Amino acid sequence: MLTRTCLGGGAAAALSSLSPSIRRCSLLFPSVQQTLLLPFSPRLASYRISPSPRRFSASAAVATEEEHKAAVAVKPPQWKAAIDFKWIRDNKDVVAANITNRNSNANLELVLDLYEKFLNLQKEVERLRAERNAVASKMKGKLEPSVRQALVEEGKNLKEGLVALEEDLVQLSDQLQLEAQCIPNSTHPDVPVGGEESSVARKMVGNPKEFGFDVKDHLQLGKDLDLFDFDAAAEVSGSKFYYLKNEAVLLEMALVNWAIAQVSKRGFTPLITPEIVRSSVVEKCGFQPRGQNTQVYSIQGSDQCLIGTAEIPVGGIHMDSILSESDLPLKYVAYSHCFRTEAGAAGAATRGMYRVHQFSKVEMFVFCRPEDSDSYHEELIAIEEELFSSLGLHFKTLDMATGDLGAPAYRKFDVEAWMPGLGRYGEISSASNCTDYQSRRLGIRFHPTPPEGVQNPKKGKGAGSAPTRFVHTLNATACAVPRMLVCLLENFQQENGSVVIPDVLRPYMGGLDVISPK
Amino acid sequence: MLTRTCLGGGAAAALSSLSPSIRRCSFLFPSVRQTLLLPFSPRLASYRISPSPRRFSASAAVATEEEHKVAVAVKPPQWKAAIDFKWIRDNKDVVAANITNRNSNANLELVLDLYEKFLNLQKEVERLRAERNAVASKMKGKLEPSVRQALVEEGKNLKEGLVALEEDLVQLSDQLQLEAQCIPNSTHPDVPVGGEESSVARKMVGNPKEFGFDVKDHLQLGKDLDLFDFDAAAEVSGSKFYYLKNEAVLLEMALVNWAIAQVSKRGFTPLITPEIVRSSVVEKCGFQPRGQNTQVYSIQGSDQCLIGTAEIPVGGIHMDSILSESDLPLKYVAYSHCFRTEAGAAGAATRGMYRVHQFSKVEMFVFCRPEDSDSYHEELIAIEEELFSSLGLHFKTLDMATGDLGAPAYRKFDVEAWMPGLGRYGEISSASNCTDYQSRRLGIRFRPTPPEGVQNPKKGKGAGSAPTRFVHTLNATACAVPRMLVCLLENFQQENGSVVIPDVLRPYMGGLDVISPK
Repeated sequence: MLTRTCLGGGAAAALSSLSPSIRRCSLLFPSVQQTLLLPFSPRLASYRISPSPRRFSASAAVATEEEHKAAVAVKPPQWKAAIDFKWIRDNKDVVAANITNRNSNANLELVLDLYEKFLNLQKEVERLRAERNAVASKMKGKLEPSVRQALVEEGKNLKEGLVALEEDLVQLSDQLQLEAQCIPNSTHPDVPVGGEESSVARKMVGNPKEFGFDVKDHLQLGKDLDLFDFDAAAEVSGSKFYYLKNEAVLLEMALVNWAIAQVSKRGFTPLITPEIVRSSVVEKCGFQPRGQNTQVYSIQGSDQCLIGTAEIPVGGIHMDSILSESDLPLKYVAYSHCFRTEAGAAGAATRGMYRVHQFSKVEMFVFCRPEDSDSYHEELIAIEEELFSSLGLHFKTLDMATGDLGAPAYRKFDVEAWMPGLGRYGEISSASNCTDYQSRRLGIRFHPTPPEGVQNPKKGKGAGSAPTRFVHTLNATACAVPRMLVCLLENFQQENGSVVIPDVLRPYMGGLDVISPK
Repeated sequence: MLTRTCLGGGAAAALSSLSPSIRRCSFLFPSVRQTLLLPFSPRLASYRISPSPRRFSASAAVATEEEHKVAVAVKPPQWKAAIDFKWIRDNKDVVAANITNRNSNANLELVLDLYEKFLNLQKEVERLRAERNAVASKMKGKLEPSVRQALVEEGKNLKEGLVALEEDLVQLSDQLQLEAQCIPNSTHPDVPVGGEESSVARKMVGNPKEFGFDVKDHLQLGKDLDLFDFDAAAEVSGSKFYYLKNEAVLLEMALVNWAIAQVSKRGFTPLITPEIVRSSVVEKCGFQPRGQNTQVYSIQGSDQCLIGTAEIPVGGIHMDSILSESDLPLKYVAYSHCFRTEAGAAGAATRGMYRVHQFSKVEMFVFCRPEDSDSYHEELIAIEEELFSSLGLHFKTLDMATGDLGAPAYRKFDVEAWMPGLGRYGEISSASNCTDYQSRRLGIRFRPTPPEGVQNPKKGKGAGSAPTRFVHTLNATACAVPRMLVCLLENFQQENGSVVIPDVLRPYMGGLDVISPK
């Protein structure tokens, strides 16, 4: 069985990004490409040359069955995204440029070719069905035995041909789905084109703090203040796991409590989510749970995985449902633990708490009407900026370039905060507008409300109501605890080795205002 | 490869128990038993009849090599418990009665038989080594060629025999280890003998609340107050997963914060632990991560699993180390998410939040000197009683009967609280004294301090110091969130459908005092 794995934009930047790093993984099986570029079966190829169904005799059908099996090289998708193929075909140049800009390995030519073949085959199947029905109608009256015999024969041939073509249609549709799933979301016109270095700063808050002494990094501070234990965790669990100890426990709890309180105050519904989910839900959110370099931990002997972010279970909470327009927007603030294999991550950026296998995170998520997603994106980044400002951090907000966007994102704003111990800016949050990329996969639609004052002349369920539309989804980090710990420890260290707790967190730590050496 | 799976006491009560339910799992491979009851190899069997090593010719060694492979049916243990075989042999009757009382499938006769064989074989190996050394010594002087030739031949035979016996010794030691690991911890003399129904109430606090209206169960209350979503979780994750929503999120956070604060106030060091650990650590704590009915989720493609309780990573934090007596006791209060497959669980007790795959828990853990473990056990159950009393719950504390003890527990106190909606008492916590069962597996010892006033005449590292001893370990639930939610919702529901928040939790919920219908 072959699978198709999409390589997304942002693959190059995978290691520096917090939220969608999990999206880039995957190896491409070269044989898939080869298989898909060949005609799907001799029958399919010949059907275009000789479209008459009459050439399908019973024996021919048997012969092609063998060849057919050889061509069945694609694992059928477990679920299907509602991809707008017609839009892709009608906007070919835009889609092609977008694929290039986002360093995607999506094969647009192949998708369009498969789509055309699919449409033709679909037409042919419909034509054959009509023909078979016509033959069946003819047989209803009184007929000469020889005429009836000829009709029986013709009907039989038609039916056999139809069965075979319908099988081809299913296979073609599967291949089309698989290839088209690799096409990334379209891109907001203001997003800078290029690699990560092309990302544009939107805002800068504060200045790098000046220290009158040699600063320590968070690892040294954690050691001196007895705040974490990476060594014991390496024995018990593996490298890049850790225990939080003493005030670090209180600090994590305070950060989570504070973030939930701040965001729910702004009208977001608090959630605590499952951390084990079906692999299909992970895929539908645009992450790839399989493949050698996957960021996703899978559960042995089941189709479940551990979440890398609460975006997955929150995105899934309205899976396969039709909301009413008046329900929108639905805003959630979700607390979960997150688990990432961090396959392939190595080097200085992986020191200490910066990149770890397990962490706590408070995540914001919005389901909204398409026309509102840009403004909710602005709202989300504004909330992030308020949160980090109130902690007293120095940070910048970036409009990330096309090359850094994961497949689901239409636009992504990252926040990078100054980490004096590490001596650089580090990503602490990310806010993405995924427009309808995830909702087309998760099956989340809404019923538009008829405009006020417009009388609906027809009565009855759904009668006359506007067609359903896909919602837009957005996600944004409110608080990724380990990166916050890095920032707080490194920025608020004092010459005497203690660390001052930001004012806003003190009420959540029983009034504790400083972590002092024991 | 065959493995040996221990079936513990408490297997019958597995479903009703919160903490050690994870311990009973496992099926017994019948072929292991058969293999182990047979002589280990023809070579071994014959060694007892003809103990002379001289019968091992080179060709005989080759011949037995084949037979040997057939006999190697036991997977060597990845780690070894420091089991006191001599004590087991010298206290055979006590151990046998204990195995019976605890419904263990440990095979004491086999262990003793293997131990005797092991000791004999060890002696034989030592004798052979001495003989080989004697031959080697003889060859040092000037010798007649024929005498030298005879000695060379004898030395060669001895060496071959020794290599084969040493292999047998390793195998025998592995089998002994595997069988002996199934022997449960010994039992406190005051523990009632019998099945779960023989457990004795130690204490009763409060009375079942009287309601002047028809009470709802927590599921109904949660639905009416929009506190959880099991339906969406069933789609996204599977059955028995859930989202917490709205005030349930605040209530979980409050319970965790409150429990950590209350317990750390009593001198326990707060921890947040890894939730992915190596399988070997799970085993060393007395849980069984493998087998068809295991309670443990394993990670695909690695030797790691998800923790079912923070007892595992906290037990592991001092793995393979020697503490100093002055470090003891080490008291921890650890917050983690817990994951359990709940394989085999079904029926009424599994309704709603009562038995779920993922939950938050605050766990207490103590490492102490052996002479102190009974009193720390009393301290732990006293803390639990204080915590649950201050929430205003009605509960009883039980001294659990032998048949309900998991293999690691020397004694276990359970707390069962009244759940008016479910109309019964339900387990909300468990406090176990595991004495040296876990420390002998995890390799956690301490070096006794020489008594005050005793001069240590010898200087230098470790010179003259007393031999190391194994610490005792204890674990106890401070707060298992879902069971607490069941208790709080069902006990504090009001006629108008609202739920009153206990006083002690209000400071952790921003002063919220009641959850009212929206």
